[in-house]
Amino acid sequence: MNDILTARCIDINTPYCPCILADLNNCVHCSRLRGEDICDCDWAGICIYYEKYWQKKEVGDTKAKARTQIETEFEICEQISADIFKISIPVTSIFASMLKKIGSFIFIKLIEDPDYFFFPVGIMKVGTENLEVIIEKVGPKSKRIFGEKQKICVKGPYYNGILGQPWIEHVSYGKIILIAGGMGQAPAISIAEHLLTNHNIVTAIIAPGQSQVFAKEDLEKMGCEVFSVCSIRRVGIPMLKDLILTEPKPDLIVSAGPDEQHYGIIDAMKNVNVNLPMAATNNATMCCGEGICGSCKKVMHNGVMIPTCKLQTSFNQFKDNV
Amino acid sequence: MKVVVVGGGWSGCAAALAAKKAGGDVVLLERTDLLLGTGLVGGIFRNNGRYTAAQEAIEMGGGDLFDIMDEVSRHKSLNFPGHNHASLYDVNKIEPYVRTLLERNGIEVNLMNRMVRVKKYAKTILAIITDKENEFAGDVFIDATGTAGPMGNCLKYGNGCCMCVLRCPSFGPRISLTAKMDIKETMGQRDDGTPGAMSGACKLNKATLSPQILEKLERDGVVVVPLPEKIDKSSVLGKKACTQYALADYARNIILLDTGHAKLMTPYFSLNDLRNIPGFENVRYEDPYSGGNGNSIRYLGIAPSDDSLKVLGADNLFCCGEKAGLLVGHTEAIISGLLAGHNAVRHVLDMQYLQLPTKLACGDFLEYMHGQMIKPNGLKVRYSFSGSTYFERMKQLGLYTTHNEEIKSRVAACNLSNIYSTCLV
Repeated sequence: MNDILTARCIDINTPYCPCILADLNNCVHCSRLRGEDICDCDWAGICIYYEKYWQKKEVGDTKAKARTQIETEFEICEQISADIFKISIPVTSIFASMLKKIGSFIFIKLIEDPDYFFFPVGIMKVGTENLEVIIEKVGPKSKRIFGEKQKICVKGPYYNGILGQPWIEHVSYGKIILIAGGMGQAPAISIAEHLLTNHNIVTAIIAPGQSQVFAKEDLEKMGCEVFSVCSIRRVGIPMLKDLILTEPKPDLIVSAGPDEQHYGIIDAMKNVNVNLPMAATNNATMCCGEGICGSCKKVMHNGVMIPTCKLQTSFNQFKDNV
Repeated sequence: MKVVVVGGGWSGCAAALAAKKAGGDVVLLERTDLLLGTGLVGGIFRNNGRYTAAQEAIEMGGGDLFDIMDEVSRHKSLNFPGHNHASLYDVNKIEPYVRTLLERNGIEVNLMNRMVRVKKYAKTILAIITDKENEFAGDVFIDATGTAGPMGNCLKYGNGCCMCVLRCPSFGPRISLTAKMDIKETMGQRDDGTPGAMSGACKLNKATLSPQILEKLERDGVVVVPLPEKIDKSSVLGKKACTQYALADYARNIILLDTGHAKLMTPYFSLNDLRNIPGFENVRYEDPYSGGNGNSIRYLGIAPSDDSLKVLGADNLFCCGEKAGLLVGHTEAIISGLLAGHNAVRHVLDMQYLQLPTKLACGDFLEYMHGQMIKPNGLKVRYSFSGSTYFERMKQLGLYTTHNEEIKSRVAACNLSNIYSTCLV
């Protein structure tokens, strides 16, 4: 597996490319759609400038394709802890199928609330006509939807929920270590499902974090070997070091959890002098999801600032603590 | 001494050979799976002044590539409107010959390695990194990346991607080494000032021509079919890259040349119009596949260079082919490639660069072209030994000749006999 991941827009080759950034002459990929005179892109097998040309031909001067918005009423399946709920959201089958890609997420708000109430939610399971997600009541936006009314507006699909997504997508017949802490257990379920479909052997280390362990049963049922530990930092990381050094060496580490967990794993790999590709959940603060607002921007080691809602790269490319 | 040549078209191959013969360790990088670039669909050489230029290169010791062209020629001493004593090499056969020649000479040919990044220190290039993350370090570099495409450019300045032999969608677009060094490049222009120019020929699949036309084409090498009056192609002429073929004859007639394909001397031609012409009822395109709609756009990234073909603004970079100026054709590409490859080695050895004297067509050509390109409207002209303004100049200056002995004595008088086959190390 290629352990270098070039920074590339996740929306390339989806119905949402060319996006509003191309309309605004700010495409993150195509030099021409940034107003430059010559072609100088990091070739992704498709010419976005050309796609823009066809888009204009097909829909005239209207803007780029907008994400789907669905009005629906969710149902609480399970209260995991005081503030954490597993909910099921009925959606159309087309909308559900668009969210099957690893790292997909949606934005949710109450129907009557203004757009700035949208908050991002990672997908745990995709059914034929429903989505299962885990939501923790943490701030004004997430608390609001658990009021009396449960009519919500769902917007999506968005794809960049996992940094290193191409690795997860392409690895097969490999040995994978999946570390999930706290709320990271939710995306871990969809990641494990995908990895197992591609005949990988998945060893999961899960910890409750600030909440509880809720993914153990699901992961075991799928066929993962699961170690449920009390703390990733104290128990999980030493266990990970042992697993890394056990032959055959793992092909990929997947870290689902807070950024501190990602850094802990990077340090652990440095300690044992091993450099493995690591996919990690994208925990950046997301507001618009379209690369416009700037809330999710992070600086990479080469000094370039990227919107992490759009650009795919590996987590270790970011400067620490930005 | 490591010489890295980026781009495996005719000029890149010539540069690699010249650098190798001069004593360099040569690495050649090519983004596709075939060498020769647009030479895979060209085929015309030794027409008009190109004869003199090719013969000069042979006398200077750089004749290997011309020998191969001669060897796989389908037709020799052919005359067609505006052009005499042309040879047509078989575009379908030539590539393996060239690849074998390079490899036999010990040149490391790396196909499907597209340059994407450059490691540099100030104005010095240290290494080239390809899309496969291979790193090629070198002492001197040659930019033979050409000026044609990719799709964004063909769309902006032409009729879009026409699916030509450059095959950008499959192998990734051309990337200019000079541009990666942050050196400003110039663009050629059309008569109306639009940047770039459209490639000048299409290739028809021979098997789809009528048996009568096919038989005549294979026998004579050339077929001229008058266009029906209702179809007029004169508006296309100004768009052509190859001004030596932008003649009225080419607007009133269909001119086919037998290069292995049936080379149709027009940038593009509506397939439906074409099929209305007797003998062309079932015809279809070979290259570009969308030849009914358009052709590739070229001259979009010319490096600033002097007559030694050193790129101005970088310490260890040379250029050749279309990168070196608004030149057209394989012969022109090869003579510039030979000079760039040879001078690259001289650069590393700290020798004075070779500058071809104006007593030779090759030397006068480069000097004239570079001089004209900085004049007003100079970017609207294309320069070729085979026609347009430069062939006129060749005739006026008495540089044009087809007498091999005379060319030999001219080269000898300049003390340049076998200069390209002399090892400098």
